[in-house]
Amino acid sequence: MPVAAVLKVLVVDDQNSVRQMTRITLEQIGIRHIHEAENGKEAMNTASLQPLDLIISDYNMPEMDGLALLRAVRGHPAARKVPFILLTGRGDRELVVQAAQAGANNYLIKPFTADILRQKIEQVMGKLS
Amino acid sequence: MSSLDQLKQTFFDECSEALQQIELGLPDIRDGSGSEDTINAVFRGVHSVKGGAGIFGFEDLVRFAHVFETVLDEMRSGKLAATQEIVDTLLQANDVLTDLISMSRSGESIPPDFGSECRAALQQILHANSGGEGIADDSAAPADFEGIDFTPVQVDFDEVHAEQGGTEEGASISGEHEYKIVFRPKPELLKKANEPLYIIRELKKLGALDLVAETDRLPPLAELEADRPYLGWTGTLRTTATREEVDDVFEFVVGDCELEITQIDAALAPAPGAPAEAASAADSSAWEGMVGSVVPPDVMAEKPAANIALSVIPTPVVEAASSVQAAPAKPAPAPMASPDAPMPVASVPPSAAPPLVPTLDRVEAAPAAKPQAAKPAAAGATTTRVELEKIDRVVNMVGELVIAQAMLGQVVHSLPEDVSGRLVQVLEEVTHHTRELKDSVMSMRAQQVNAVFQRMPRLVRELAVKTAKKVKLELAGENTEVDRSIIERLGDPLTHIIRNSIDHGIEAPSDRAAAGKAEEGTIRLSAEHRGGRIVIEVKDDGAGINSERVLQKARDRGLVSAEATLSDDEINNLIFLPGFSTAEKISDISGRGVGMDVVRRNIQDVGGRISLKSDRGRGMTIQLALPLTLAVMDGMVIRVGSETYVMPMSAIVECLRPPASDIHALIGTPGMLRLRGNLVPLVQLCDLLDISSTASGSDERVIIITDAGEGARFGIVVDELCGHQQVVVKSIEESYGSVPGIAGATILGNGRVAFILDVEKLSDIASSNQNVQTGVARFVNGESKAAVAVG
Repeated sequence: MPVAAVLKVLVVDDQNSVRQMTRITLEQIGIRHIHEAENGKEAMNTASLQPLDLIISDYNMPEMDGLALLRAVRGHPAARKVPFILLTGRGDRELVVQAAQAGANNYLIKPFTADILRQKIEQVMGKLS
Repeated sequence: MSSLDQLKQTFFDECSEALQQIELGLPDIRDGSGSEDTINAVFRGVHSVKGGAGIFGFEDLVRFAHVFETVLDEMRSGKLAATQEIVDTLLQANDVLTDLISMSRSGESIPPDFGSECRAALQQILHANSGGEGIADDSAAPADFEGIDFTPVQVDFDEVHAEQGGTEEGASISGEHEYKIVFRPKPELLKKANEPLYIIRELKKLGALDLVAETDRLPPLAELEADRPYLGWTGTLRTTATREEVDDVFEFVVGDCELEITQIDAALAPAPGAPAEAASAADSSAWEGMVGSVVPPDVMAEKPAANIALSVIPTPVVEAASSVQAAPAKPAPAPMASPDAPMPVASVPPSAAPPLVPTLDRVEAAPAAKPQAAKPAAAGATTTRVELEKIDRVVNMVGELVIAQAMLGQVVHSLPEDVSGRLVQVLEEVTHHTRELKDSVMSMRAQQVNAVFQRMPRLVRELAVKTAKKVKLELAGENTEVDRSIIERLGDPLTHIIRNSIDHGIEAPSDRAAAGKAEEGTIRLSAEHRGGRIVIEVKDDGAGINSERVLQKARDRGLVSAEATLSDDEINNLIFLPGFSTAEKISDISGRGVGMDVVRRNIQDVGGRISLKSDRGRGMTIQLALPLTLAVMDGMVIRVGSETYVMPMSAIVECLRPPASDIHALIGTPGMLRLRGNLVPLVQLCDLLDISSTASGSDERVIIITDAGEGARFGIVVDELCGHQQVVVKSIEESYGSVPGIAGATILGNGRVAFILDVEKLSDIASSNQNVQTGVARFVNGESKAAVAVG
């Protein structure tokens, strides 16, 4: 059972406001170690430098989008097993299917509440304590 | 401000950036010059607005952005062609989006049908494109997707961490080459923010890398400088990559290091799988624990400053042995400290040595210890958002400092010289620093004129449609920076000028064609720094000013007497007179001729000048010259009678004390000065302000030649020049309203309040011959002379 307080989560989004909201929501469910990245490239950099327990990434970003990031993560020797949740908008079913095929572990529809976030994380990682 | 409100602000700031991206991108798409990147950037802009709006609960924004985004998505995927018509609709959509955002930002309630027309047009595009399918309303989409299979993760955390420490599979493929590599960074390499670790990591991606670090140049810890490279690497690379690919890794550092890449052999036989597993056996603690393990514990204990060194050592040393297992097997040049290497590295006991050559998984953690430093500077200038209020507070404080420093100066200079000698030196130093401090703070408050310029493309577009003209807007110098207070006051005048240009300047397409010009008119809006001012130019290639018509209008309106002969320039400047309009028909665009008059006043109010050049039939140029800041300025302190005033240095051309013979009395005027063959009208400041002068004769008086803009010079007669001083401008408008002739007030070095004169207004007042009891005189001498409280 993963302990929320020790989980290391990377939030990837090009919009600072969205990153901060996600951060606040993560903090609401007890997650304290939160890294941020502005795009896939930066995220990949972070992911290759330290162990992460979860990546929550937006899809639409300059430089390297969420799917490309997902594929890069899955292809990276050190980070390939890190759970990956894709942030998406309503109605982006096609994208989510693609992400699932590329090895995403779940998705989150923006906007989301703390409850939904916890639920999704627990679906991926098991009950948080 | 709650953190949520702050986040909303951040979101709206992001929106402004996104809107700009959209605004700039859309015309390119229409021109067909836009690449895939352009449309992607535009799409992303709208998408970001939508995403953020959803999070912050701006439903109207989400709904509209969704349709907008869908159209762009169709375009992006090549299902929809970017016709002129569609791009025009998109531009309108951007305008609606802009309005929606600004309404959301100000908290206005958005009318229920706002933008519905445009939204319908967008939906129509989609409808037509999809052959009648239309678009599903996003809000109707399910908030959850069913039936998608995700691989559930059975996460074993220890395993994850251990895995992450693993190395790449080492299976070699035939056709490999082996290269000998010698890589010794020079200091320049680090100075250019290149990172050996990244280069080695890149190299490692190419194949089996076997490098050994040369540590013999490592100085003792105490002498180690963080920004110097002490390590070099030698070893081999087995790879299927071509020589070019290997060279490419060093592309950006090739001049900044000693580099040697030599191919050792031809194609290699298939190599056995590299025993990479050794590395992956490392436990997860390697991630956290590695920093300590790089430098032996005794060194750590010895040097309290170890953390400084640590941030340097781990990176190179660690990656040095990217293929660890090979290191002990080979008699590498210097895997460990060489015997003559200085202390304390050399003192590392053999048992402590292995950590100097750690496994690769440890390597990865090193930069994590200094993520900031590891980030290449190439990522661009870093910025931080600071609340404007905070900066304004600093600006105010610097203003007070400037005043205090001036006061100090006065005190120092009143001391006997034997006491003040050294003090003066120090004071000069302080003055110098204060000035620099002021400049830096001002530059913090500076904004790019783009903040105003970016509103103009939309304006031009809308006006072009309204007037059925074709107009192209070119922007230049939009990155020019100027104080925020100026930016704020630039919007209206610029809008007016551009309106005028389109309405009166640019001709109808048919007329232009008849005149042999391109059907599309061009307006060029540019900004640049010139001589301590910012100069903004609006240049069009329209008809220019019809001087006969202007003169006729002015005569009809009694603005100019029928007999007066005016130069072309003078005629052109008539359009700045209140109540002037030459448009044959009054349009709803540039209004009833209040435009240019108001424009000039606005510009003058911020201490700027406006000038105009017209080339009949070819177009005209309006130039605004504005001060870079309003908060602090260079002033000339002057005295008239017993009163002290400040005159902006920017308005002063020269100061002189001419012989009485050069001053010619003219009935009904305060006189004229003969200056280098020209006659310059004089203004007696004492008369204008109704103060009795203390100067006994005209010989004692000083004449300040000022430039009132448009090249009109005149001389202001004052009693004495008291000195040059930086003054902090304090507005008196809040307390006393606008007083003609007075631009503001300031506090002088002696602690007294002095008014800052508005030279251009003074010239207006003087020339309108109402100089005896002007507003200035009444104000200065009447109700408010006693104690002026300035904020």
